[in-house]
Amino acid sequence: MTGRERRGLSASGPVRGRLVAVDGSSPRVAAAAALVARGLAGGAGRAPVSAWDSSGIFTELMAADGVPGLSARTLTLLYAADLAFRLRWQIGPALLEGRAVVAAPYVETAKALAVAAGLPRVWLDELFRFAPRPDASYHVTPGRARDVKAGASYVECFVAAALAGPQLLDAARLRKRSADYLGALEREGTATRLPAGRRAAPCRRARR
Amino acid sequence: MTERDRRKWRELLERRHESRGLLVAFEGPDGSGKSTQRKLFKTWLKGEGISVTTTKWNSSAVIKPLVKVRKQIHVLSPEEFCLLHAADFRHRVETEILPALWQGTTVVADRYLFTGLARDAARGLPFDWLLHVYEPILWPDLVFYFSVSPETSGMRISATRQPKYYEAGQDITGVDDPLASYKRFIARVIREYESLAMIFHFVTIDAERSINEQHREIRGHFERASRRPWPDWNVEAVADWLAHQGAGSRRPSRAASA
Repeated sequence: MTGRERRGLSASGPVRGRLVAVDGSSPRVAAAAALVARGLAGGAGRAPVSAWDSSGIFTELMAADGVPGLSARTLTLLYAADLAFRLRWQIGPALLEGRAVVAAPYVETAKALAVAAGLPRVWLDELFRFAPRPDASYHVTPGRARDVKAGASYVECFVAAALAGPQLLDAARLRKRSADYLGALEREGTATRLPAGRRAAPCRRARR
Repeated sequence: MTERDRRKWRELLERRHESRGLLVAFEGPDGSGKSTQRKLFKTWLKGEGISVTTTKWNSSAVIKPLVKVRKQIHVLSPEEFCLLHAADFRHRVETEILPALWQGTTVVADRYLFTGLARDAARGLPFDWLLHVYEPILWPDLVFYFSVSPETSGMRISATRQPKYYEAGQDITGVDDPLASYKRFIARVIREYESLAMIFHFVTIDAERSINEQHREIRGHFERASRRPWPDWNVEAVADWLAHQGAGSRRPSRAASA
């Protein structure tokens, strides 16, 4: 039995719910996800949101001894492990119950940062192939540097851990390149830009 | 990586060929005696005046604590189990194994990525996906595979202790008795190992023989093995590491001075 089948996410199986991805290199992703979740529920509360680090891997990593220096590849593998946890405990069960669920961030945030750090896209596509394709995908535009709170998101964790390592990565360049990657998704038509501060109007499109 | 970059990385590696350390992996199921042989081998290498270091499976100071706590409470799915071990492995490749090899130290690995491949494949994960997870692969110069039957493995393990939850494969067998689960799971792991040994040309050691006989055979293989250039697929692994080692570039010319 494959991992997808175990999680009830088999392509051939009856997946009744709806998965909406909200990605971005902005700390506003969580706020945008909440808006999307409200939009999806259509005034009846909000759809569940699966957030980064639900498994606690990154919290433990950062709390152990400050920010450890880790390569982009190691960080991406840890992100994938956390995502596998979220798929099993949050996203998969919601989909099986026929509910809409928001994954924020989902796969593209990790890919954007990894590509920005120089990792090959083909490796990332293969690594994350266990994650089901979302029914709708949004990305949030980057915020200003002063909005950023260290350790508050995968982006900040990635930047901090990558900069603590031996590699000479530049935080601003990482952000710029990852934003470019997400912008390219929009141009390809695989994701829709969600401008920061807007109300949930565009999110309603994700509803059934 | 462009073809031009690949060629330059290859030239850089060739220049390092004579001075780099060798990577020797010891693989096999639990209870196959590989750790005993690894220790004897390391002692012998030191006696021969060879600079040597050891790396063990799931031993990264950063990642191991994350895995350990999750193993204790039995919450890992096969995918999480695989990905966390792959992160641990990658971290050790980048911070222990490659730096040692680059400085000319021989690295003896008590379990290598084949442990992950065999166990994860035995848990039902697709083999092609597993190979991608462990990319870029740093191929060892020599892999010793310690071959024992599932019965011998089970007997040796149960003589000293009860197998742990994941070691026994209880997460996938659903068998309550750890030893009964272990016997079922280790048979699958050994099948995967046997396939890997055949495909990737491991040196198979009959681990049912005496400790001394095995040790002599290992020494013989090591002495006869001629130093060969790293295969092409190691180019990407080394380039990946060098690019993150302060060279700050994925271009070979700048990394060469690192």
